Amino acid sequence: MKTENVFQITNLNLHYGTKQALFDIAMEIPKNQVTALIGPSGCGKSTLLRSLNRMNDLIDNCHVDGLVQYENDDIYDKNYDVINLRTRVGMVFQKPNPFPMSIFDNIAYGPRCQGVKDKKTLNEIVKNALVNSALYDEVKDRLKEAATSLSGGQQQRLCIARAIAMSPEVILMDEPTSALDPIATAKIEELIQELKKDYTIVIVTHNMQQAARISDNTAFFLMGELIEYDKTDLIFSQPSKKQTEDYITGRFG
Amino acid sequence: MTYRNQFDKELEELKISLIHMGDMVIKHINEGFQSFLSLDSSLAQSIIEKDKLVNEQEYKIEKECMRIILREQPVAKDLRLITAVLKMITDLERIGDHAADISKMTIFMENTHHHFETKQAGLITKACAKMISQALESFVNNDIELAYEVIREDDIVDNYFEEIKNAVANAIRSSSIDADYALYLMMVAKYLERIGDHAVNIAEWVIFSITGEHKKLNPI
Repeated sequence: MKTENVFQITNLNLHYGTKQALFDIAMEIPKNQVTALIGPSGCGKSTLLRSLNRMNDLIDNCHVDGLVQYENDDIYDKNYDVINLRTRVGMVFQKPNPFPMSIFDNIAYGPRCQGVKDKKTLNEIVKNALVNSALYDEVKDRLKEAATSLSGGQQQRLCIARAIAMSPEVILMDEPTSALDPIATAKIEELIQELKKDYTIVIVTHNMQQAARISDNTAFFLMGELIEYDKTDLIFSQPSKKQTEDYITGRFG
Repeated sequence: MTYRNQFDKELEELKISLIHMGDMVIKHINEGFQSFLSLDSSLAQSIIEKDKLVNEQEYKIEKECMRIILREQPVAKDLRLITAVLKMITDLERIGDHAADISKMTIFMENTHHHFETKQAGLITKACAKMISQALESFVNNDIELAYEVIREDDIVDNYFEEIKNAVANAIRSSSIDADYALYLMMVAKYLERIGDHAVNIAEWVIFSITGEHKKLNPI
């Protein structure tokens, strides 16, 4: 099978100060697919996710060795344009984090920062982002209202809309539904299935059923190491490593 | 240390229920064949009635599997185990049906003259019972070698069937067998041969449960 990879990770080692958080990670992230990162707390899955758009740069004593290539470019090269990287590789966090401004302005924020001033263009970007994040029908008559007035599930979809508004190629999601109720979770999961047609999605989740439901590939991490990475169906029916089996069947401890 | 003690206990209980169902059908095959040999129609009738218990046990295990799927959302080897159990009980239920079918032959034969015995008829019954018992043992002990042995043993059952068929054909040619009896005997032999096939299915599900590969799709 020939799939195009957006990320190519080779020998990635990451330290927080003296503590090593990732050990010799090697993996590819295929384009237009959903890749789930699973594993117990502290296994390095969120660290790996954040290393894909260099969010770890914001942590003082974080040190990265090895190679993370995004579309064949080394994103840790000192001349690499990080701002551009984060435009193309968007992120959605565990807790919805709308800016304290209107629904419209939340989504228009990124494009405005990039210099888009034309009202008509902004309107279009906002509408498209809301349609694509399955939020438009619910908020189309209240775009001027505060984003914080939305429900948790709506706020999370707004954050996805905000990421989409930047026309990214990849969306990183760090436990995007862990703070949501089952209905809001189902909406986000359905949305992810829609989004993968246009975007590549990497999602960290503690919800194993969610990983099994929505992802194409699953990577299992344990204590900073990538234990097993394969097609999701295979991971959840026939994992090849005992540690994976123990973890996903709940016999890990 | 594991955090799924309750779940593990439920899986163990599921295996015990399956063994119980297996024991029931093995008993019914032996008794069904006994009723045929001795033309004991009251024994035959009791087996036909007891087949209901096998069906009830199938239903009970099916419900238990669904409850476990609902509550525990099993994955990997647990999911394969539950899937295998759901498939195995279908085969066991069919084996139970065939034991009842053999018993029905006994009742049909009440008015026939039976003076024909083949050693192979006893042997095929024993071989079938052994296959079922070993298939279930292989499941409980995760014994993949034993499961493969069950699959190989089907050739023995098939050979016995051929031998019975030849013996009956010869007896028909020499007019040394009652015509009705010959037909019923062949049907009993065919039911037993089918029972062997169901035991093979069970063994194949055991292999699936252990390896995740189904033997039918990946012949060795």
